[in-house]
Amino acid sequence: MTNLKNIIANFKHYWFLMTQLISRDFKVKYKRSVLGVVWSLLYPILMLAVMAVVFSQMFKFQVEGVNYIVYLMTGIIMWNYFNEASNTAMTSVVTNFSLINKVYIPKYIFPVAKCIFVGINFVLTLIPWLIIIGLSYFGLGEYTCHFNIYYLILPYIFFCFFLFTVGIGLFLSCISVFLRDVFYIYGIVLIMWNYLTPVFYSLEILPAKLQTLFQLNPLYQFLTAAREIVLFGQCPSLLRLGILGVLGVGSLLIGAFIFKKNQDKFIYYV
Amino acid sequence: MIKLEHVSMKFNLGIEKNFSVKQAFVDFFSFKKKKKKKKDEFWALRDISFEVKKGEVIGLIGSNGAGKSTLLKIVSGVMKPTNGKVKVSGVISPMIELGAGFDMELTARENIFLNGAILGYSKQFLESKFDEIVEFSELKDFLDVPVKNFSSGMTAKLAFSIATIVDPEILIVDEILSVGDIKFQEKSKNKMLEMIKGGTTVLYVSHSLDSIRQLCDRVVWIEHGKMVKVGKTDEICDEYYDTQMKK
Repeated sequence: MTNLKNIIANFKHYWFLMTQLISRDFKVKYKRSVLGVVWSLLYPILMLAVMAVVFSQMFKFQVEGVNYIVYLMTGIIMWNYFNEASNTAMTSVVTNFSLINKVYIPKYIFPVAKCIFVGINFVLTLIPWLIIIGLSYFGLGEYTCHFNIYYLILPYIFFCFFLFTVGIGLFLSCISVFLRDVFYIYGIVLIMWNYLTPVFYSLEILPAKLQTLFQLNPLYQFLTAAREIVLFGQCPSLLRLGILGVLGVGSLLIGAFIFKKNQDKFIYYV
Repeated sequence: MIKLEHVSMKFNLGIEKNFSVKQAFVDFFSFKKKKKKKKDEFWALRDISFEVKKGEVIGLIGSNGAGKSTLLKIVSGVMKPTNGKVKVSGVISPMIELGAGFDMELTARENIFLNGAILGYSKQFLESKFDEIVEFSELKDFLDVPVKNFSSGMTAKLAFSIATIVDPEILIVDEILSVGDIKFQEKSKNKMLEMIKGGTTVLYVSHSLDSIRQLCDRVVWIEHGKMVKVGKTDEICDEYYDTQMKK
């Protein structure tokens, strides 16, 4: 218990630094761009437009009984969050070495700040996402997606998703200190992971044996839970919600444990 | 306030070479089989023990590469010693390197908050001291200019002003940092002296024996990572000066 108290106290003490790092990222990201933060809203819409044309018009992708555009966009924004957050978190410790070498700062701050920064961007992309869902009432796509009470579960899903990503980020940022090859390896892993996750297709197009295998992918669980609510107006089963919680907390604990065990050695690998 | 017990610090110089496919490739094609280097270990510090009491000003002397900066980094918590224990009670203000974490894209105003946060200041503290920092740095007209457009002198002035705004319990100083133009140099030197003499506990590294004699109560002499002597300022300084000149 005292351990947990210490962690919380430490977190509180460095929260100001965390906010500073996050706001630094925002300022730098939109420096000198005319539209600034509007890009956070515009970018996912434009990306969706491109992917919607490619997959629904050129490749004729369909998911039975479902509004494909909303299906696609839900997949894209969640995948993009994971992709960008885990990637920037991975490099965050190494790129901040000059700081770590000079001043004492708890090192977990860097990957966690990146996950929060990308997370704020993710929350912004929910605005165009909700607009697209709203437009389905006016004939965007074949099926209408109805807003429903289960939307209240979404924050829980996204929060577990965030914890899961932080865990992965901590783990990656830690091992990449010792082995810089991880930058490249993870780049390839992400591409594979992207195709193995049903972002733009549905598992049903796969043979039954593969389907069970693909369900072991944590991202599949997160995406499916969100889609069940948005596309079908269904409450995800308690089992699935439980799995998400376990995935989130478990990933965070494992990531944090590995990070904590190794963080004192970082300084030798500057 | 600060207590070091048998502190040793080992660096593994071989780390740079390990794990590289390139090296393996080169080795494979080089006919001469190189002998394995055993001396990849480097002890930057060996068995250092001393104590600093509250309000004491301790000087650290020794030639370049003796391990002074490593020692400061260990005390300030940047590094953990390989062996031994470090006990520090109180808030440390490490003035080892100024302007750590400045983001060149951000304005001076934004950097004051970013750098302040990195140095561990709270938001309230920074807000209350903001005017004082600006005043001291003499950069009032450039507050909203990105730091990348600053001259190096201006950047140093800003960094110095942020770093010295606190009243720390423990102050760690690597050289008296004289930055900026003549006027600012004088000002910054006085500010440092004021901080050092203000009753705080100080760990002070310098190559200027004059300033050591002027400021320190005791001196620790380090050479090749080992402690040569601890004692009264004048004795150690004289002895140090003699041995250095004989070489």
